[in-house]
Amino acid sequence: MNHSLPAKVRRGKGNRGHYQLRLFMAGDGPNSRQALVNLRQLCQEHLKGRCTIEIIDVVKNFRAALKDNILITPALILVAPLPKVVVLGNLSDRQKLLLALRLPEGYP
Amino acid sequence: MRVRGRPIPKVPTQISGLDEVLEGGLPRGRTTLASGGPGSGKTVLGLEFLCSGAMAGEPGVFVTLEERAEAVRKNALSLGWDLAALEKAGKVAVVEARLYGEEVISGDFDISGLLAIVGGQIKRIKARRVVIDALDVLLRVFGDPRRERNELYRLHEWLIDRGLTNVLTAKVHREGDAAPQYEFLDFMADCVIRLDHRVIGQVATRRLRVIKYRGSGFGTNEYPYVIGDHGIVLFPLTKAELTHQALGPKVSTGLAGLDAMLAGGYRRASCVLITGTSGTGKTSLACTFVQSACRAGERALYLSFEESREAMVTAMLSAGIDLRPALRRRKLMVQTGLPEAMGSDGHLIRALQAIDDFKPNHVILDAVSACVRMGSEQAAFDYLMRLVSIVKERGITCIMTNQITGLVGTDEELSGIGFSSVVDAVIQLRFVEKGREINRQVLIVKSRGSAHSNLRQPFAITSLGIEIPDSPRPPVDRAGQADTKDGGK
Repeated sequence: MNHSLPAKVRRGKGNRGHYQLRLFMAGDGPNSRQALVNLRQLCQEHLKGRCTIEIIDVVKNFRAALKDNILITPALILVAPLPKVVVLGNLSDRQKLLLALRLPEGYP
Repeated sequence: MRVRGRPIPKVPTQISGLDEVLEGGLPRGRTTLASGGPGSGKTVLGLEFLCSGAMAGEPGVFVTLEERAEAVRKNALSLGWDLAALEKAGKVAVVEARLYGEEVISGDFDISGLLAIVGGQIKRIKARRVVIDALDVLLRVFGDPRRERNELYRLHEWLIDRGLTNVLTAKVHREGDAAPQYEFLDFMADCVIRLDHRVIGQVATRRLRVIKYRGSGFGTNEYPYVIGDHGIVLFPLTKAELTHQALGPKVSTGLAGLDAMLAGGYRRASCVLITGTSGTGKTSLACTFVQSACRAGERALYLSFEESREAMVTAMLSAGIDLRPALRRRKLMVQTGLPEAMGSDGHLIRALQAIDDFKPNHVILDAVSACVRMGSEQAAFDYLMRLVSIVKERGITCIMTNQITGLVGTDEELSGIGFSSVVDAVIQLRFVEKGREINRQVLIVKSRGSAHSNLRQPFAITSLGIEIPDSPRPPVDRAGQADTKDGGK
């Protein structure tokens, strides 16, 4: 019995819906590229066919960063399903990312 | 080859007294660090710098990393700056950039987002100044001193590349130096200002010190400051040269007898100390002068730490001195206050504001002995030295009373707290017992740059005022021969 799993996930039907993600990056730096690669990989492996990724370059669109209060980049926002979650960094810590996105694969 | 150094360009802060200490202002296009503990006024300093710039045609971006934008606007409004209006006019942009601490961290990151936002706002309003308030809050997210340092250098370079005159504020640990992980901030910035808020003798005092200023001289002392209704006010007293005006011509004391003893009266722009035990008539003598000066159309500011205005006016009436006409004609302004009510800095700014507004010819301070209750002897000394210094600089006569408790020996004891160097004349009042009678006597102990009587002169306080017999003997030259160059005959 694993008590750390949310009830919905344990029943095997939670968070099976559509994922809406928004990735903020700054230009074409190594962290930006790394974040994009990591995110695409994650979607390929865990969210195939049920996620939308919106990519925003804060250098070109500072108003979007202002709107979402993005000071640190790269930053990933889980827009849906709610509740909203913000993940900072180039997403190279897969385990933390899965947990943050409430994906069952993230739980041990 | 040696060439003469060219002074670096500066931007005045318009903060009262600070530009004097900074010998003109903050370094243009460079980074200034303002650090201090909680409540030391870092945000206020940043706000004033930004707002005065915006008013002078240099738009600026204020980045708040800790407080909400709304709180910053309120704060500014309480200091008389309408930030919202300046924002609307496109002269100021406030960026609320706060982390909420709920973010999940996965992998490496940097502050490009913040730079993009600030950069966007800079472009939009053509900003020339940037203030980043509470930098340490942002740095915390890195959780690694090396990363913090790198990001900060990046920010610093970014700001300088754009030619922005910027002020970064950061908290430091109490009383003194920056926390070890932020020491590099001091090295990075071109100008470092440390604000300190401490309690001395139960009275809160604020001190400002400039720690470094690349390419410029600066005042190196600790300067007391207050945060008043209009922001920060600094008191840079300790200038290298004394700029007091020379003592001016004589002004009547209001009593012919005393005028005779002083060879004409008090000298303008001098500091006169009236000293004596309780009840000898110090306040009456000072008020006699006020009455006479105000009748002659001059203005007097009376700083009273002993009693209320009404109590003073009433008490003086019984001694035949009517201050009411002077008050009515606005020739006399009485400022009263309990010494304990605020720190010496607070008292000083209050007095200075009155001096600025009322522009008196004479200032009366009643009494020196009460000033110790501002916190400590040091606090009283600071207050009196600064007040007398400023008053003399403006050519204003300063009459002070001092209550003593015992017998009098030296000047040190006369003034109570050892500021005799700024006192130009000392008038001593005392009681003498003769049989069953008790009588008053007045003696001129010292009168710089003037002849004076060496006699103890009897006087009386009647319901018609002070009575001093006209000098039975013309003043003889005083004992002290040190400053005879402009002595009267």
